[in-house]
Amino acid sequence: MHFFNTIRWIAWKDLLSEVRNRENISSMFFFALIVIFIFSFSFSLDPRTVQEVMPGIIWVAFGFTAIIGLGKSFLAEVHNDCMEYFQMLPVPKGAIYLGKFIGNVLFMLIVETILFPLFVLFFNLDVLEKFPQFLLIFGVATVGLSALGTLFSALTVQVRAREVMFPILLLPMAVPIFIGAVEATRGVFNGDAFALYSHWIQLLVVFDVIFVIVSFWIFEFILDF
Amino acid sequence: MILNRFIRWLGRYEGWFGGGAALCIGIGLYMGLVTSPPDYYQGEVVRIMYVHVPSAKTSLFAYLVLFIGSIWYLWKRDPVIDNMCHATAGIALFYVGTALLTGSIWAKPTWNTWWTWDPRLTSFAILFLTLVGYLMLRTFLDDKEKEATFAAILAIIGFIDLPIVYFSVEWWRTLHQPMSMSVRGISFAPEMLTPLILMSIGSSLLFSYMLMVRTQMLYLERLLEAKQGRLLSETRL
Amino acid sequence: MKRFYLRWGGVLVIGVIICLFGLARYQREVSHIPIEKFLDEKPTRAVRVLGMVVGGSLNRGGAGEPIQFTLSGTGAQVPVYYQGEDPENLRELKKLVIYGRWNPEEQRIESETILGVPNYGFVSWAYLVTLIPMTLFLFNMERKVALLYIMIKEEKVYQSEESA
Repeated sequence: MHFFNTIRWIAWKDLLSEVRNRENISSMFFFALIVIFIFSFSFSLDPRTVQEVMPGIIWVAFGFTAIIGLGKSFLAEVHNDCMEYFQMLPVPKGAIYLGKFIGNVLFMLIVETILFPLFVLFFNLDVLEKFPQFLLIFGVATVGLSALGTLFSALTVQVRAREVMFPILLLPMAVPIFIGAVEATRGVFNGDAFALYSHWIQLLVVFDVIFVIVSFWIFEFILDF
Repeated sequence: MILNRFIRWLGRYEGWFGGGAALCIGIGLYMGLVTSPPDYYQGEVVRIMYVHVPSAKTSLFAYLVLFIGSIWYLWKRDPVIDNMCHATAGIALFYVGTALLTGSIWAKPTWNTWWTWDPRLTSFAILFLTLVGYLMLRTFLDDKEKEATFAAILAIIGFIDLPIVYFSVEWWRTLHQPMSMSVRGISFAPEMLTPLILMSIGSSLLFSYMLMVRTQMLYLERLLEAKQGRLLSETRL
Repeated sequence: MKRFYLRWGGVLVIGVIICLFGLARYQREVSHIPIEKFLDEKPTRAVRVLGMVVGGSLNRGGAGEPIQFTLSGTGAQVPVYYQGEDPENLRELKKLVIYGRWNPEEQRIESETILGVPNYGFVSWAYLVTLIPMTLFLFNMERKVALLYIMIKEEKVYQSEESA
């Protein structure tokens, strides 16, 4: 049970430090808010165009949020010289990955659930009754983004130009997530039946499963030294 | 180990690989440009196939080599394998770039556009970006061992990601642009197949030759650094 | 280093020779001339002439009969008398390459072969884009290997333990 305790404690530690200083979530949130403003200035948004471009806007905003938030997920450990303690933990290193991953998923989901009503408010969307579908899509896409993002964050945190390297590594690999999430979101916006866009959600789920497992296995090598 | 001995044995015949590549590519070019017939629909433009298809195939082969090499490195921690992976990534980037450029040149007369979000084109573009990221990550890390491990991890993740990218783009494209610009089947005459096979063999032989030369180059660079008294691994965070 | 440069010099020479052969072959068997130049020179041997079939001028006989039409360039026009198997790509307002010779008595081109406009521009670009960088890439790597061998031999800062 040591394994699961480690996962729980690392996720708990991240949440606790977040509750105490509110650094991560607030920076993600305000950054995404600025992105929303920039988008509303950049496009002339009449109701028909909103329907067209809204899924893209939402996922670009969330993608930037992920870059801001996930890129820093190992920074505190490096600054406080805690990586060595992680290496010394007598559990499979994948447990550390899972702990961090769960923390990141929670942060992202919190930010997304705060942001989404703001999207509805600013762009006059009429979708609040479809909130469960949106939550499902946000959930599976966020799990995929966090699975890759946590791994690449651990990779790039020890690199010299980490602010540049993190998006350069993450974004090309996350292309399937963006395609799947945008298409599923578009389906919900258009009021399609669930069966019409469920294959995108299946794609996202497959992506999540593959990359959580692969990252869990491969994380062993990152903390080797 | 038997595999290492096999590679050392192969290395002795480095020149044969280069010569064989030159021979195959030479004959292939002659057959492709002169003796093979033009295609019924595409005309002479079909001759781009003889450089485009082999470079695309070889870049996928190179990425497969990179994937296997990365797993092998994580398993055995052999610095020479790491050199090989580094060399493979550079050559693969070169081949992917060639395939993208020639594909773009081929697309202009056949599809009347330089670029289309075709699944194959898109996944090659993603492959290109991944390889650029791979090489950048290597330049930004100072510790050699860390560099090798992180790069290997990135290569493995990227390899697994590639088919998912391909299928997601394919689904996405069938939704947005109906396949109006799909490749019209080139009816393969045997006169066209022979130069294509020759060019493919030549291109893979050239890849092996380049791989040997480039691995040697990276190894010698590291040796020179060691000889100049620099530490092989210096940690800087 | 000398052997290295000799080898690559050989490669360069062979490449240039192949390019020259290719160009000569292109001149002999593929290249074509515009109608104005053809009317100025009126060569006696058979040549390829590029032009567009004038709309309304195409006069097909029955099966096996000769076909007559007018070919136009930017300024000049010339009548063509074609005898051969029925070409699929002969249509009005289409650019074509006519392979034939000038008949001074009838003031027309007599042709037996009609070709499409060859589109080698894209093909040659694709081959140049592939072959030139490939050669440069390989050359650079081999040169660096040769240089590194020399540098390692000359590097005296660090003595290996056996020689010390």
